[in-house]
Amino acid sequence: MSEPFRRVPEGIALDLPSSLRIWLANMAQKTSDDAVTMEDPVHRRLLGPIDPSKDHDDPVTELQRQFAVEGSLGVLIETSNNEVLNEEQAEEWIRALQLILAATAARMAITTEDDLGRLNDAENEVVTTLQAGISLMIDALDT
Amino acid sequence: MMAEEDLDIQGNPGTGQLLDIPWEVILWNDPVSLISLVVRVLRKLFSYDLAKAERLTMQVHNEGKSVVWTGDKETAAAYCVALHGYALSATIQQSQ
Repeated sequence: MSEPFRRVPEGIALDLPSSLRIWLANMAQKTSDDAVTMEDPVHRRLLGPIDPSKDHDDPVTELQRQFAVEGSLGVLIETSNNEVLNEEQAEEWIRALQLILAATAARMAITTEDDLGRLNDAENEVVTTLQAGISLMIDALDT
Repeated sequence: MMAEEDLDIQGNPGTGQLLDIPWEVILWNDPVSLISLVVRVLRKLFSYDLAKAERLTMQVHNEGKSVVWTGDKETAAAYCVALHGYALSATIQQSQ
């Protein structure tokens, strides 16, 4: 099997099965939806205040952060069927995969290393698949 | 030594003193983010060399947190937002 992410002259080539592309796009959309749902653990994880002494960020920072989250996830959704990503899109994929991973951890209530040990096989596969994707994309981008 | 005029009526630092206290960007450990990702982000955002990025990352991993940058509030907030762009857990606080 070839590398799922491979450097080519135009950027990073994606060699992913269509089922994985659809799964990633769906995960990105769900993360985006949950991130803007107040009281959702994903919202608290991804958009909690940067200054913990305050209940929320100032409005400009809140918007800036929300746009950043939606932007990265949006790029992954829009380019999920691409054959090649440019450098900027590939960097957004790393951000998006990290956001999906953090959202997944928030939904699974993973807050310590010990929590990883109580995941069932399906949950563990989701976490390790996302981690592998991030690692492989880093390898491809930094080659 | 703090001058008397720098203290408020309760003996706390006055506004001028508080403005001078630098802000810290604190990076917190999270159990799912890869060490390689954290090292890469610290190098990319702060232009740290590999050794410094690795040292800070291992401090986060082993001690639960690390002060990864110190300076003015606006820049600290901007760095913190940038770290959140990679879904890394970061906060800002004034130095103790």
